[in-house]
Amino acid sequence: MPKCSFNQVKISGLVTCVPSTEKCIDDEVALFGGNEKQIARLKKTIGLDRRRVADPGTTAADLCGAAAQHLFQQSAVGIDQVDALVCVTQTPDYSQPCNAAVLHGQLGLRKDCAAFDVNLGCSGYVYGLWLAHMMVSAGGCERVVVLAGDTISRLAHPKDRAVAPIFGDGGSATLVERSAADLPAWFSLETDGTGFDKLIVPAGGQRTPCSPETAVETEDEGGNCRTPENLYMDGAEIFNFSIQVEPRAVQELLEYAGIEIEAVDHFVFHQANRYILTNIAKRLKIDLAKVPMQTVERYGNQSSASIPCAICGELPDALRAGSQRVLLSGFGVGLSWASALLDLANLSVCEIIDFKASE
Amino acid sequence: MSLTQFIEDFEEAVEDVEAGTLNGATNYRQLEPWDSLAVLTVIAMLDADYGVRLKADDLKSCETLEALYALVQTKVSS
Repeated sequence: MPKCSFNQVKISGLVTCVPSTEKCIDDEVALFGGNEKQIARLKKTIGLDRRRVADPGTTAADLCGAAAQHLFQQSAVGIDQVDALVCVTQTPDYSQPCNAAVLHGQLGLRKDCAAFDVNLGCSGYVYGLWLAHMMVSAGGCERVVVLAGDTISRLAHPKDRAVAPIFGDGGSATLVERSAADLPAWFSLETDGTGFDKLIVPAGGQRTPCSPETAVETEDEGGNCRTPENLYMDGAEIFNFSIQVEPRAVQELLEYAGIEIEAVDHFVFHQANRYILTNIAKRLKIDLAKVPMQTVERYGNQSSASIPCAICGELPDALRAGSQRVLLSGFGVGLSWASALLDLANLSVCEIIDFKASE
Repeated sequence: MSLTQFIEDFEEAVEDVEAGTLNGATNYRQLEPWDSLAVLTVIAMLDADYGVRLKADDLKSCETLEALYALVQTKVSS
């Protein structure tokens, strides 16, 4: 996909909802076979610490729905003014219908409203924003809501150290609408499908349906357990992929936009882990102060919700001071990566809320 | 590039390894802190300092630091 640009489309508010249950790597000595030195190394180098995980019975749709309700409570825009709903998730409530249809009904949106899901993970939030910008620019929609969220923690086998201590859960809601003022935004979207098996849940789809065989646990050479129904990540390959494609994608988008790297106020990357983010930042020679990376240590890697969560958690102070030029970039499952360069200003709401089960 | 420098870089890249404790004959895969994290930090060091992109399998294909150094050299020259 060639790069593209838009104008007169704005993000007017966003909310991220996280589960209230917190887990911490310090409490998981047993997972690491009592190897406290290994835990200390992971905390120091990768930055693993705490993560929020959804309780049984709570889904990504619930988290996104709660985020959307809070967004509209805090916004001057009514929920009946929404023309389209885009849900980005890889952990939907049902294999069909899509989360967007379920949430459309729960939120009480108008019937003349487009609603559909996008099956993407770590790059998905940027894809959702890109779609919303296109839909507004094309003229059919005045207001689009992007709900991006996942419960990836549930796919990780609790005895797989490569994924279990990393992934958290979250859901987000972002309102995108037409802007009278000039407001340029630039996007790039890229894919390398040859790496589809580097980050994958092998069983549970039509290719390999769940069966007694896919529920059988195996232990790999590193002593990690999983079944084909669990998430598998080739950590070294995903790391190599990230440090290879991300610096180049950021540089190419800046070049396309004709904007100097120094003119960007914040580089909000998918919150994979601190080690990947510092390695990307080092290769781009950007000031680490411009790279939010506390989110992954507090909430875990939240897949499609990680970029909105980082904005909601780490940018409100800066946003209160004025307009911020941000470069958003997500990378991961697919393999897929996508970047956006745009301005954030005058948001009606930008905050993280805790999920309450009664909502 | 020298083996001595390479060993120093390796010691620095792997957490919980003391400087000056390894040599060319060291079987790095038998080191106590050699785990999937160490694989990442060595891959990152080789990419940043040597401009060499190794796969996790490359690190499994060698045993001694000398052999790994030789592998890195072939990648640098190619």
